[in-house]
Amino acid sequence: MENKTQYWKGTEELNREPEFVQLSKNEFAEGLPLEEVLSESDLNLSSNRRDFLKYFGFSVSAVALAACNKAPVKNVIPYVVQPEEITPGIPNYYASTYKNTPVVVKTREGRPIKLEGNTKSTVTHGGLDAAGQASVVTLYDSKRLPLPLKNGERSKWSAVDAEIKAKLAEVNAKGAAIRLVSGPISGPATQAIINDFKAAYPTTKHVVYEGVSYDGIYSANEMCFGKAVIPTYKFGNADVIVSFGADFLGTWLNTLQYTREYTTKRVPTKENPVMSRHIQFEGNMSLTGTNADYRFPLRPSQEGQALMSLYNALAKGMGLTQLATPTKLEVAGNGVEESAKVLLNAKGKSLVVSGSNDPNIQSLVNQINLMLGNYGQTIDLDNYYLQRGGEVSFAEFVKEAGSLGAVIFLNSNPVFDTAAGEQLKAALAKVSLTVSTAYYADETASLCTYVAPNSHFLESWNLTEVSRGKYSFTQPTISPVFETRQSEESLAIWSNNPAISNNAFNYYEYIRNYAKANIFSQSGASGFDAWWNESLHNGIFDLPALTAQVPSNNVLASDLVAKINTKVGANDLILYTKVGMGDGSDGNNPWLHEVPDPVSKVTWDNYLAVSKYDAEEMGIEQGSVVSISNGQVTVENVPVLVQPGQARGSFAIALGYGRTHGVKETIGINMYPFVGMVNGTASYTVADVTITKMDGSYELAQTQTHHSIEGRDIVREASLSEFAHDAGVANDDKLTNQRNEEGKLFNLWKEFDYKGHKWGLAIDMNACTGCSACVVACSLENNVPVVGRDEVRRRREMHWIRIDRYYAFRNENNAYVTKEDDYDEMGDHQNVKAVHQPMMCQHCESAPCETVCPVLATTHSSDGLNQMTYNRCIGTKYCANNCPYKVRRFNWFRYNDNDNFNYYMNNDLGKMVINPDVTVRTRGVMEKCSMCVQRIQAGKLNAKLEGRKIKDGDITPACAQTCPAGAIVFGDMNDENSRISKEFANERAYQVLEELNVKPSVRYMTKIRNVEVTKETTAQH
Amino acid sequence: MSYESPIREPLVTGGKTAGDVTADICRPLEGKTTKLWWLGFGLAVICLGILVYTLAISSFRGLGMWGINKTVGWAWDITNFVFWVGIGHAGTLISAILLLFRQKWRMSINRSAEAMTIFAVMCAAIFPLFHMGRVWIGPVWALPLPNALGSLWVNFNSPLLWDVFAISTYFSVSLLFWYLGMIPDLATIRDRATTPIRKFMYRFFSMGWNGSARTWARYEVVSLILAGISTPLVLSVHTIVSMDFATSVIPGWHTTIFPPYFVAGAIFSGFGMVLTLLIIARKVLKLEAYITIGHLDAMCRVILLTGSMVGLAYITEFFIAWYSGVEYERYAFLNRMAGPYWWAYWSMMTCNVISPQLFWVKSWRRNPNFIFFMSIIVNIGMWFERFVIIVTSLHRDYLPSSWVMYSPTPTEIGIFIGTFGLFFTFFFLFARFLPVINMAEVKSILPHKPHADSHEEVHTPEMVTQ
Repeated sequence: MENKTQYWKGTEELNREPEFVQLSKNEFAEGLPLEEVLSESDLNLSSNRRDFLKYFGFSVSAVALAACNKAPVKNVIPYVVQPEEITPGIPNYYASTYKNTPVVVKTREGRPIKLEGNTKSTVTHGGLDAAGQASVVTLYDSKRLPLPLKNGERSKWSAVDAEIKAKLAEVNAKGAAIRLVSGPISGPATQAIINDFKAAYPTTKHVVYEGVSYDGIYSANEMCFGKAVIPTYKFGNADVIVSFGADFLGTWLNTLQYTREYTTKRVPTKENPVMSRHIQFEGNMSLTGTNADYRFPLRPSQEGQALMSLYNALAKGMGLTQLATPTKLEVAGNGVEESAKVLLNAKGKSLVVSGSNDPNIQSLVNQINLMLGNYGQTIDLDNYYLQRGGEVSFAEFVKEAGSLGAVIFLNSNPVFDTAAGEQLKAALAKVSLTVSTAYYADETASLCTYVAPNSHFLESWNLTEVSRGKYSFTQPTISPVFETRQSEESLAIWSNNPAISNNAFNYYEYIRNYAKANIFSQSGASGFDAWWNESLHNGIFDLPALTAQVPSNNVLASDLVAKINTKVGANDLILYTKVGMGDGSDGNNPWLHEVPDPVSKVTWDNYLAVSKYDAEEMGIEQGSVVSISNGQVTVENVPVLVQPGQARGSFAIALGYGRTHGVKETIGINMYPFVGMVNGTASYTVADVTITKMDGSYELAQTQTHHSIEGRDIVREASLSEFAHDAGVANDDKLTNQRNEEGKLFNLWKEFDYKGHKWGLAIDMNACTGCSACVVACSLENNVPVVGRDEVRRRREMHWIRIDRYYAFRNENNAYVTKEDDYDEMGDHQNVKAVHQPMMCQHCESAPCETVCPVLATTHSSDGLNQMTYNRCIGTKYCANNCPYKVRRFNWFRYNDNDNFNYYMNNDLGKMVINPDVTVRTRGVMEKCSMCVQRIQAGKLNAKLEGRKIKDGDITPACAQTCPAGAIVFGDMNDENSRISKEFANERAYQVLEELNVKPSVRYMTKIRNVEVTKETTAQH
Repeated sequence: MSYESPIREPLVTGGKTAGDVTADICRPLEGKTTKLWWLGFGLAVICLGILVYTLAISSFRGLGMWGINKTVGWAWDITNFVFWVGIGHAGTLISAILLLFRQKWRMSINRSAEAMTIFAVMCAAIFPLFHMGRVWIGPVWALPLPNALGSLWVNFNSPLLWDVFAISTYFSVSLLFWYLGMIPDLATIRDRATTPIRKFMYRFFSMGWNGSARTWARYEVVSLILAGISTPLVLSVHTIVSMDFATSVIPGWHTTIFPPYFVAGAIFSGFGMVLTLLIIARKVLKLEAYITIGHLDAMCRVILLTGSMVGLAYITEFFIAWYSGVEYERYAFLNRMAGPYWWAYWSMMTCNVISPQLFWVKSWRRNPNFIFFMSIIVNIGMWFERFVIIVTSLHRDYLPSSWVMYSPTPTEIGIFIGTFGLFFTFFFLFARFLPVINMAEVKSILPHKPHADSHEEVHTPEMVTQ
């Protein structure tokens, strides 16, 4: 069947040699050298079947596991060519300028993530306020305009530029008027660009206005001294400060400078027990008012009377002519007499300021300061703040707006932030060319034909003259996030600026040339490049300050009497600004809404602050809603806050709220329409408003709802004279009978020996003004999420540091009442004192939170930190319950990547501000202050790289770094020479809740008030 | 089989014979499913659905769905946890301690009381599980299991960890005790079963019980051993639960009186719940002859005793708060009484301290309708006790700046209602498929009948107070 041809492979087969026959039975002709291979000593293999199975099993499972891992594709793009100055993981710092504040920008991998004050600045000395801290979030705001707009539609720069230029040329040819509307310009180079623009279009006038105006001070100084400037107020030189409604620590002018200088005079030491005396007269309870030694409630319509009577009291004391006043001046109890008494003892070392925008009131204040000899001492008219531009008044502009040829709104939003908004709205429709350079399609920009969005300051070059001769540079720290263009560049292009070359305008070169011609030439330095580089590096450059002169006065106080309003109406409405929100220009910044008002602790709304007396009269209470009307304008559904310290007959509501365009949602109520014009300046007090109770209610989102300290030994206070007598006056050891021979309390736990560092914080309650900059700084440093109004109402704000504010009321016996149950019996809540106490994780040595965690997610470090391991936390919340300071915060929801929390952590752009050194916490874990452990680690690492020990001051947590008052000191308690060791040795230092013996690493300095000793101060609660 | 004294009430009335006992107790589980049962079961399942939904919401969206906040981290969750754990205690007390004390009257109620214990502990366990922020890992990480996460271990200092051990031990021992006690009865039902499925199921679960003297002897020994193991649990479980609070630093929690006070409260509330259930069960399942007025009377006396102990504890707490001189302690207790949650405190005082004193009146102790009403009052009061301890202590502690108010959200209320659904779903299934009274034991305490074979005088049936 099979008849196949046989082929032979070789002669061996053909011959069928026995050897071949033998071998052919094997599968392999020759034995494989397996043994040899496997036993080769250099491979060191001793595999056998078991090993093989092990390896096989491992490989199969490894492959299987690898295949299971559905790691999402991440768009990680490495640097193809790494920029020389960028090392991934290492932050770079650049000096820049936020508004008028010199700052340092921290950038990571090319993106700015945090601002700090510039410590080189001779104005702020390194402080930065809440709004400045928050401003970095605006850079990544997805609401900002990504492209220029034409009639509300996205367009191209080239097209927009061409059309604007053509229209400007047309308007120019017709000789029609052009207006540039802006806020005060503090940049000299910007002003030069504007001047270039005016040269190109001669019909241009520059209209300068401010939503919150200080014109009264300019005008008064012009009237009195012929100098239209805002002087430098030197609170640090004043032994007595009397403020009439000027919130100089919170919102009035250059608060950072004032806070720093003020606090230098507010911290007495054992060796030098002196501090300034601060007397505040005001209608609404301001941040400054909460810090005053004496605070007298005063309706704003009585301010003129009060100032006149102060003038008379001083004149009487000095034997000068008194004013003949029309009415009997009896306001603010004995406040005026008391003030006069102390002012007379501090001639040349005192300061009287007023928050009024009425030039006559300001002139009277000038006369008082002049009489006290304060000019040249505490008031410096020669090193002033600048306001450039101001050619026609804003009112005139509004009047003629309908007949103008072109209006360019240079980063200004007058439709929102002036009373003339509605009028302007109607007029703008008639103007043939309307352009805005706003970040957002805001109220004004949305009415303009063209919007040429300005770049964020962190994307821009600029030069700012903070005050006369003090320059601050703005450097871009990121290339524009959107296709925006700096407004200076836009103006230059539209005006065919002579500096344009090759169809491009280089603003950097322009500034450089400006600085060379105008600043460098005065600096006396040699070598422009070196000077320029150094100045940019430092971020600031100061020309020598001029010597402050005593100005010659052109006004007689007696002439002012008739001009000053002394009529006291029914209800005064005070329009003020809030520490976070300010004038409302950054109204889409969630942190400005989430940061609690330092006084009322309200977030996410403005509200009508009413005194208890008036509330009872009107039958309203906290949570009621009212309507406010001044005859022309009425706003409805205004929530009511019963504000302790609010002067009877005065009501206060914040400006800057109620933005309708260019924001994610409208928050609060716009009160700008109530701003009136008195004596040619904007008036922020409205007389005779009608307030009517409405049906309904509104719950304000407050982070603190209990305002009395209940007589508890949490805040310690003493008067200055007591302190001078005994520096430890308020710090009697209440636990002496419970201590052992070593002075220690009984301890259930083993004492831990801190061999290396032992970190701690010292908080000076005399320095802390309560400004809340630390709250925002901490939140941005540590990626604390914004949770929004509803969650704050549910008492779930996430702040790692909060500022507790307590009120105490003086009763008729002059004793302070601190128990809430007793509050209601008091008819009047005007006589109030307040205290601010920053509260964060106390990093207790025997931390109650640590013992109760079932999974050891919160533990103690060898350098004294109470650490939180997010990954280990299972979220039982037991630690938070057991924390006596209630500083732990729970992630109730997932706050990032969650569109229910549409702030900034839910979009890719907003997330760019997240600090890569700090974990973004997931839902269901606990978090709290870590004392900025990432900064501690970085500080340790730096010291190690440099081969040295950590120096005191190497490490600064975010709260301490931003604090304009320098109230927070961080350091190593084991280092005897550190600042913190000295602070802890201070007689004023105490621990909050020491009796629990949890041994906190944070200590507070007793609050010393410069008040006369009466019963109330000895009975400190 | 047992001795009858003319001055003692018989433990089983109605002249029941051993055969009657079997017939009466097997009737509900051998007869047709009644409409009433379907109605009750249906309601319970609807509530169970609410539980599943609300727990799903809490787990998928976050604990923000509850009303708790930065200051009040525990509220309804732990209140309900302690409430349910407390309820369980009556079952263990009846089955273990009363067994050791040879209180024969327990025999007709211990089965359902133990069932209640098991279901109550299941309800209780839901809260510590789902109150965890990361419920998807928490239950595992809270156990001391070797793991690949480095040297991570649990914190033996934490009372929450003790809870894990206490509750899991309690649940397993209770379940075992309950099941073991049921084996002879399951065998009886097996022997009476007619359908193959029933035959198979009851055969499977009766584990080959043959009723021989040897099995009986072993049964007795194991029961005694398990009773011995369970006895400390009656005291330890709630002691440990109380330490969740007692070991903290929060005024109002940090109290050494908590362990005995919690145990007394637990027994108090547990008997309240037993009464609620049994008064319905004896009526619906027609078991009045087995669960007699005498039983109800005995349980009312336990309530009277433990209620008075709880009342004493409340007053002692107040005294100590004042006597300590600590202002925070003093405030915590004044705040309970007169603070914003005064209504919760006074509900608690009325329900737990004043109302049990009505049981001094014998005729009221023997009126099932009145007792039923009172049993509900007791449970309301005990729920408020836990709410008062947890919420009023937390909401105003040391720093007044953090003082808040708390109110529950629909989700939290839903979970609480849902646990009742879970409880009654199981209880209805229990009443339908398992003997609610221990037949074997009850037969041993049948009143002596002239016609029955009298072998010997067995020990005296005793009432609880004697």
